[in-house]
Amino acid sequence: MKILTCPMNGPRNIDEFQSFGPVRAEPDPDRTADTDWSRHLFRAENRRGIVVEWWRHVPSNYFFLAERDLVTNEIIRTFDASERRAQS
Amino acid sequence: MAASPVFPFMPGGAADGTRLPSGAVMLTDLTGGFRFGLKGGGSAGWLASQGVPLPAVNRLGSWRGTRVLRLGNEDILLLADGADSTLAELASTWHGATAPKGYSSWREEGWAWMRVSGPQAPRAMERLCALDLRADKFSAEDIAQTRVGHIEAVMVRSQAGFDVLFDVTASAYFARTVAAAARHCTDLLIDTEGHT
Repeated sequence: MKILTCPMNGPRNIDEFQSFGPVRAEPDPDRTADTDWSRHLFRAENRRGIVVEWWRHVPSNYFFLAERDLVTNEIIRTFDASERRAQS
Repeated sequence: MAASPVFPFMPGGAADGTRLPSGAVMLTDLTGGFRFGLKGGGSAGWLASQGVPLPAVNRLGSWRGTRVLRLGNEDILLLADGADSTLAELASTWHGATAPKGYSSWREEGWAWMRVSGPQAPRAMERLCALDLRADKFSAEDIAQTRVGHIEAVMVRSQAGFDVLFDVTASAYFARTVAAAARHCTDLLIDTEGHT
C-alpha cells in the first residue's frame, strides 16, 4: 500500500486521494500573446525534477499541495495551500 | 436481537428490505436520528456565537447533550444523540438568522448514519477500514474521514462501537459489506435474515 500524508488527516492509503495536476502560472489572458496563451492552454510540461501539485483527500474534500519528484515518484512533502499563499 | 431493516427513505427503493446484520457484529441504522450540519464561510463563527464550543479539526466535542464533529474549519456536524429538542432549537435559530451563517450541508438527508457494534466489532472494522483503530491510536475524541467498506465515510467511536456516516445511497451496499466482513472474521452466527 502506498501512503500519502494528508496535512489535515494524516497518513492514508493513496487510494483516498485524487490528483489535480501541477500548480501552474495564471497568466492574464488580456496581456498574454496568443502563442503563449495557446501554449498555456494546450501544452503540458514533461520535464524531470520536482513539481508542486494539487491533491485532494476525497473523504474530507480537502485540497492541499504536494511536492513530488517526477523521476522517483517520491512525495517529498505535503502542505496546506495557505503555506504557498504566505510565501508568494 | 433480530436483524432490523435499513432506514427506508423510499419504500420500494434499493435499500428497502435490506436486513442489517446482528449477533457478534451488529449494525444499527441511526439514519432517522436528528442531526444538523453547517458548511461554508461563517459556519464556525455563527455556531460559536450561539455558545457551541468548537473542537479542533477532526476532533469531537460536546454541547448540551449533542456531539459536535469538526470536519473542517468551516464544516461542522452536530449529532443529537437524544438531545433532539436542543438541536432543533439551534436549527430553528439558524434558519431565522441573517448571514454570515454558512449554509446547511443537508447531513440529515444526504448521509446515512450507522453504528457497528457487538463483541466482534473491532475485528470486523479491521477488515473494513485501513486505519489503526486501536483505542490508543484512535481515541473517543478523534474523527476519521476515510474509507470504510470502500466508501467515503466519517467515523467516530461511540460507547457501543463505531458510528459511521456515509452517502445514504450506499446504505444497502454498506449493510451487505459489513455482513460479509463479519462472516469472514468470526465463527459466531451473524444473522442477516431476521431470525431471532
